[in-house]
Amino acid sequence: MHLLEYYASDHWLSRIDARVKLLVTLIVLVMVLSYRGVGFQLLVAALSLTLIMSMKIPWRIFLLRFSEPLLIVLVVLLLKIFFTGHDPLFSFNILGFHLTAYREGLAEGIAIGSRIMAAISLMAVLVYATPFPELMAALSWLKVPRGFIEILLYAYRYIFVLFEEAMVIYQAQKNRLGYANFRNRLSSFGILTGSLILKAFEQSQTLSTAMVQRGYDGNMPLFQRRPFRSSEIFLSCLVVTVMGILWGI
Amino acid sequence: MKKVAPGFVIALIGGLALPQNAVAMHIAEGLLPFNWAAFWFAVALPFFAWGIYRLNQRSSEDLSFKPLVGLMAAVVFIISCMPIPVPFAGTCSHPCGTGISGILVGPAISVVITAAALLIQALFLAHGGLSTLGADVVSMGVMGSFTGFLTFRALRSVKVNMAVAAFMAGLFADWATYFMTSVELAAGIRGEGAFLPLFWKVLIAFIPTQLPLGVLEGAMTAGMVVLLYKKRPDLLIKMRVIKAREVAVIGAVLIALTIFFSGVAPAEASKWTGVDEVVIEKIAKEQGREPREPLINMEQGDLPLFIFLVAGVVGGFAAGYYWRVLIAEKGPPLCRGGAERSPEASAKIRGS
Repeated sequence: MHLLEYYASDHWLSRIDARVKLLVTLIVLVMVLSYRGVGFQLLVAALSLTLIMSMKIPWRIFLLRFSEPLLIVLVVLLLKIFFTGHDPLFSFNILGFHLTAYREGLAEGIAIGSRIMAAISLMAVLVYATPFPELMAALSWLKVPRGFIEILLYAYRYIFVLFEEAMVIYQAQKNRLGYANFRNRLSSFGILTGSLILKAFEQSQTLSTAMVQRGYDGNMPLFQRRPFRSSEIFLSCLVVTVMGILWGI
Repeated sequence: MKKVAPGFVIALIGGLALPQNAVAMHIAEGLLPFNWAAFWFAVALPFFAWGIYRLNQRSSEDLSFKPLVGLMAAVVFIISCMPIPVPFAGTCSHPCGTGISGILVGPAISVVITAAALLIQALFLAHGGLSTLGADVVSMGVMGSFTGFLTFRALRSVKVNMAVAAFMAGLFADWATYFMTSVELAAGIRGEGAFLPLFWKVLIAFIPTQLPLGVLEGAMTAGMVVLLYKKRPDLLIKMRVIKAREVAVIGAVLIALTIFFSGVAPAEASKWTGVDEVVIEKIAKEQGREPREPLINMEQGDLPLFIFLVAGVVGGFAAGYYWRVLIAEKGPPLCRGGAERSPEASAKIRGS
């Protein structure tokens, strides 16, 4: 849950308009995905990681976020090395299997791995420097359907509430010998998830009643937008142009 | 040049995927090249648009529908982050939760719910990604929700029991999700290689966790639907999972059965002989002990009525004699509060 809340509020990047950050991130992301090679992706990953370091992100948060993508990079790399290509790099025997690593597989694996690292780091910069409601306002500006943004806002708000409920139910079950063996664990988990759905139903009824009393007519009033600053436009154009030149090289 | 054994590759993917099964459910950011990422977005878009259309339609009829869908998205988010134990694989894995959302709110809106949960996971937990959101929505949202919904409806239409239908819906929704994820992964990372061999290997690598996990997700989906049916059938009617007529018919059948058995059973029971007559009396006769009249025959005259009357009189007398001990003297003395009240307070009360 800490991952959902973390935001580097005192970093200079946090003061830039969320729309600008989102747009630049999406453009650079497309460049990363469409680049055939490794250099540009490693550059984006390095720049993004430098920015993340300058935000003074706690190591625990950083490792939690990057552990899963790193595992995927490892899986893809090994899969590609031993499964793709014709030109052998080296070979060895392990547990009765004869393994050969291929040069083309290594190249492809590194390309995919660097793409994943670049994309993950880029997204991390955006998320650490932008609070959730501002990100939603930026999505709304990009004409993402209003209904979907409302759903996201409700979901984000109630993840914490329902997670807390889930923890209370879980502790109560543990205190009453829930999760003691496999069968019991399964039944306890079923009751927990079923109770969460019931809680969600009840909370939604309470929430909608409260909102209707305050004038809700089916559409939530969304965000106030301020005009872009010229410095923001200049900076975003500069970043996109430089990245475009590097992408083209 | 020797080729590497395919079995080893399967073991490699499976072995590395086991410790963190979220690897399997969400395709990571950047894993798919641009053309495949765009393709899966294009596939997901019509389903998503249909979901938004249905959402707006339903929320114009019922103002509480959007908050409900938002909270369902939060539940799907939490469910798909929770580890559950997988037998045989000896590890934990994550359910999808799309089977239950497909059943409850319909497949189109379930696609929107999945997209919302996946977007929050991609942004904040790095499970999945923005570029792979289309692929993840297709595997989890479209395949999971539609398979779950269609399985549930098809089985219910041929009068299959609700728990069994929900179990099958959860099972197939889970398996369909991982089937589609295998297609997407194999297509995305094959490079210049052939699609089918890699697809089979990825699919087989998922089997140790996903085959039993599907069964567990089926059991959980069934448990959830049955829990809702028992505790809040009105919600299932509201979500159009069951019809009011269905609940009324089941209720009427239950009432009829209760009346039938409560009326018929005593009458039937009176015709049956008890263990005393069948066993004890028979053995006693065999040993030469014939039955004789009881010393006090309770079945003759109004003796039981007389005994109850006497008991009532004695009980009433005792209760009346000791009523102060039983009731009045248990609480605080009745007049103490008034006696201890200050003269000013008493004057104030009188004045008011």
